[in-house]
Amino acid sequence: MMTMDTSENVSVHTRQWTLQPESEYRFELDPNTTLAIKLVSGHAEIFGAELAEGKAYIFGQECKAAVFTWQGCTIEVTGHPSVEYLSDETPMSIYANVHLALEQMRVRALAAVDGSPIPEDEGDDAIGIDPPRVLVLGPENSGKTSVCKILTNYAVRAGQDWVPIYVNVDPSEGGWAVPGAVSAAPITAPIQTSTPAATLGSAATSAPNHVSSNALLPLSYWYGHAEMRRNPLLMDRLIRNLGENIRDRYENDAEGRCAGLIVDTPSSFAASSSSSNDHRLTMIKACVDAFQINVILVVGHEKLNVEMQRTYGNRMAVLKIAKSGGVVELDAAYRERVHKYQLHTYFYGHVMQPPPGLPSKAYVQGGEQTPDQTMHLSPLSASVNFGDIVIYRIGEETMAPSSALPIGAARVVSEMQPLVVEPAIGGSGLYNAILAILAPPNPDESERYDEEILDLPAVGFVAITALDIPNRRMTVLSPSPGSLIGRTAIVGSFEWQE
Amino acid sequence: MSLYPQTTTYTQMPYPAQGYGAAVPPQPSYYPPPPAPQPVFHLDPNMFRRDYMTRLANLTVNSRPIIQTLSLIAQDYSRYADVVVQCIEQHIRRVPPWMKLPSFYLLDAISKNVYDPYARHFTPIVVRLFLDTYEVVDQQTRSKMEEMLLTWRTASPTGRELFGVVSQLAIERHIWGGDSTQNAQSGSRDSGSISQAQVLSELEFVLGQKERLLLSSPHDDLTKHHIGILQQLRGMVQVGVPQRDLQAILTQLRALTTPSPPPAPAPQPYGALPSYSPPPSITGRVIAPQPPYQSQPAYPVNYEQPKQEAMDISRFLHAAAPVASTSTTPSVSMPDISGIFSALLKAGVVSASSTSTGAGASSKHEEPNEPADPERQARRAYRKLILSTKIKLTSSDVTRQRPRITDILYDRLPTQCKQCGYRFSDNSVGKKLFEEHLDMHFRQNRKATQAVGRGHSRSWFVSLEDWVSADSGDSKGKGRADGRTVSSKAVAAEEAAKREAELRAMFVVVPPGDEAKAISCPICKEPLKSEFLEDDEEWVWRNAVKKDDRIYHATCHAEAIASKSNLAVRLLGEGTSRSRSKTPEKATPPRAHATSNGELRQSETPTPSKLAGMKRKAEDDHATAVKHEGDGPQAKRVAT
Repeated sequence: MMTMDTSENVSVHTRQWTLQPESEYRFELDPNTTLAIKLVSGHAEIFGAELAEGKAYIFGQECKAAVFTWQGCTIEVTGHPSVEYLSDETPMSIYANVHLALEQMRVRALAAVDGSPIPEDEGDDAIGIDPPRVLVLGPENSGKTSVCKILTNYAVRAGQDWVPIYVNVDPSEGGWAVPGAVSAAPITAPIQTSTPAATLGSAATSAPNHVSSNALLPLSYWYGHAEMRRNPLLMDRLIRNLGENIRDRYENDAEGRCAGLIVDTPSSFAASSSSSNDHRLTMIKACVDAFQINVILVVGHEKLNVEMQRTYGNRMAVLKIAKSGGVVELDAAYRERVHKYQLHTYFYGHVMQPPPGLPSKAYVQGGEQTPDQTMHLSPLSASVNFGDIVIYRIGEETMAPSSALPIGAARVVSEMQPLVVEPAIGGSGLYNAILAILAPPNPDESERYDEEILDLPAVGFVAITALDIPNRRMTVLSPSPGSLIGRTAIVGSFEWQE
Repeated sequence: MSLYPQTTTYTQMPYPAQGYGAAVPPQPSYYPPPPAPQPVFHLDPNMFRRDYMTRLANLTVNSRPIIQTLSLIAQDYSRYADVVVQCIEQHIRRVPPWMKLPSFYLLDAISKNVYDPYARHFTPIVVRLFLDTYEVVDQQTRSKMEEMLLTWRTASPTGRELFGVVSQLAIERHIWGGDSTQNAQSGSRDSGSISQAQVLSELEFVLGQKERLLLSSPHDDLTKHHIGILQQLRGMVQVGVPQRDLQAILTQLRALTTPSPPPAPAPQPYGALPSYSPPPSITGRVIAPQPPYQSQPAYPVNYEQPKQEAMDISRFLHAAAPVASTSTTPSVSMPDISGIFSALLKAGVVSASSTSTGAGASSKHEEPNEPADPERQARRAYRKLILSTKIKLTSSDVTRQRPRITDILYDRLPTQCKQCGYRFSDNSVGKKLFEEHLDMHFRQNRKATQAVGRGHSRSWFVSLEDWVSADSGDSKGKGRADGRTVSSKAVAAEEAAKREAELRAMFVVVPPGDEAKAISCPICKEPLKSEFLEDDEEWVWRNAVKKDDRIYHATCHAEAIASKSNLAVRLLGEGTSRSRSKTPEKATPPRAHATSNGELRQSETPTPSKLAGMKRKAEDDHATAVKHEGDGPQAKRVAT
């Protein structure tokens, strides 16, 4: 059935794999190795993004992915993956059917905007004319993000100018920002896969890009922690903020609204440990409300599916879809390393070294043709006075002096209260910390309110790389030029060292 | 073994019996996109010549993919510029007349887009080659060549003649005869005769530009209006107008095209035709290469051009329409198209009689009447296809196998970009999108190669207002043409900061003996600061620029110029200003870079490989857009 030609060379490890229709080649990489895959013939896609024939696509930073083919193909693989195998058991036909059903919702929504009648025999009256707004739930290692990517990429590939909004409310993933953020971004081109540091494509840089999913414009809020249970109230609020702004955007763009949105969630939304149960259901409800969800997809979790059917089944489509057999169990250490890759990539970019045997430079990284020219980034290290930036920590007991607390407040404060962090005090926790730089507050003083900083989106992230307490100065690594003076920042629990 | 993969596909290309370069949309066959030029090493120029000749032989029809590929190769192997030039000349001379135009388009593309060293290399041969070709081709091709010739007037990166004024004049004089006027500036001194054909040909060119503009934005009433007037003008010229008015029309036309070509990033100059047509000069300029700028004087010179033209236009209008002009304010002299017409009307050149109204009526006739919108039709077809599948969002329904997905994702979209794998349908909408997509790759490739030496960085995220307003470039369909948006405030602010830093880094060397002399900027009246440059061992005025023997603050001067040119552009009622496409950062001499206090460290690392992964160290007071330039401590540090 499946054949494999091995043409091995002593130092260079290149082999060809022939894939039957509807099968996939799966691989996993060790740290510090890269892999190149070239489509020799046929058609193939990676998480829904089609490969161009004859281009060497490069993967690294412990990337785990699969090349799937609907029609059959031959690929040439160069490098040493730690695991590689072919599988013809994939849930892709299910995902494709889900996509088709979502497309029906999109075309109906657009027809309604255009004012075109939909012939009675061409569809189901029960569906209505709402574009798909999909919430994807699932336990850890069920491939939620892959499902979201495939559905998003298929929509983008339809040739209908769909620009779906991808919403990531998994703070441990980080998406286009850094881990700790929750964001939404309109997607105009298939999201490429090459490294877990940029699973969902990447935010815009000053460099030119061939694939617009490498130049995304996210709307991002800073949660600051990897785990949802750390501050569920804050999470709830940020989700609602995202939803509100997406609705505002849709109001300006009736056609764009038809492409719908897809929400990727953290696995904690599906975890059934009793301690976080309440939070979990609150979070799901927050998402359903904020994003006006009308489709819930539960990836490989029977119990959660039943639960969702019971809660939401009368209001919307709730369906369970199979998880891929290719998902890899990921441990905490791996996630930790990925956070590091992500933060490094945010500031410095990342250019992979091709595996031995690949002609230098003639490869594509994340869809970019000249990664060596466009994927190196130069952040800026600047020294600022302590007084130049006001840093807050949200709702935690901090080491701030009592004088920094609001009048009458005790040491134990509410989860949502912004507290000023004083860098001059030892143990401020700022050294090596990641800060979110917030958008400026409302210029109109009368419009301001106490907790406004909870509702301000982040414009970027900086790392404090040195604290000089005697001189009251700190060194801040900033992604690009621009003054930080007078800015407001929030610190979370993420730290990063080069 | 071919040096460039994927080329053999071109060789079988059938030559269409008619219609090359004609306005008839070329045959619907699909041209493969240009393969990315592989970084292959040509050790031997002869080998390169053979290979380039072979590829040129494929250029038998007007195919933009082939032309782009050939110009990309030319760009990559500019060290063999002489070979490329020889090949192209040989090719043009050898092929039959009906095949010559595409090769001329290639010459045009290379000269405009790569410019240096190609324009230089083509200059000695271009006059003879153009005229010899012009002699033998048919009338239709001739008018295409004339159109191309017109774009050469301003196609150099500095907005000058692509092959120099001498060549341009030589060709124009030969084709249109008489003492052809060179440009708007010389318009006023000209008294020679202008042929009706020349004016008509230029009119058609401008009209074509406007029509393409209208295609891309069908609701642009101003453009519609302009087209109407231009069509009236055409009617008048065809009937015949006195010599003096021909001159008037010509000058105005040039004023219209020169300072404000269509918005640079918009791909409309190519129109919906998948063939190559010489882009109006600005397109070449936007992606114009870096090097030529360095040999140019500092950027403000460039800014001055629109201003001068605006003045000339006004002067001319006063001359041409003495009755009309009573005021000297620049707003009266705005070179609006309707201005031409009304000025002529008022001057009594044209009577507002039945002829013009008749022309107006006919022009209305030509306005695009609304046939079935192809985009809508495509949407409808897609909807039918999607809704014909009976599928519900239930677990049981989606687990049933359905093979239709390959139809929808693959078979329905047969045109695939060879660079990124993205697919397009083969209907007219898909073709247009594919053209734009190829243009995008081309632009990004160019930008990437130009950006060598400049560090890139992660941008700040866009503001909430920009994100919510959804027209920050990524809304439906708009974002696709360009990889990323440039309209967001964040990026604009960043660019402005960069520009200002570079302006402030400029300096003028203090003439010996004048070190102690205090001078001040004529614009802001603030004194100029002098400081000692250690590297050059010279006293300089910082943030200074010399214009007409006066020293200005570079920032003040730029601002003054910009506001003037902005005004001119606004008055023209056109889109993107030319000053935008010529950001001073490109034109700032490298020396100025090396002397700015903060930039200094950056320019010590000129290659991206060195820059890469390095922190840019900067004092915060530099990071804050250089608010306190050249103050005490820094001057001291430099001096010691």
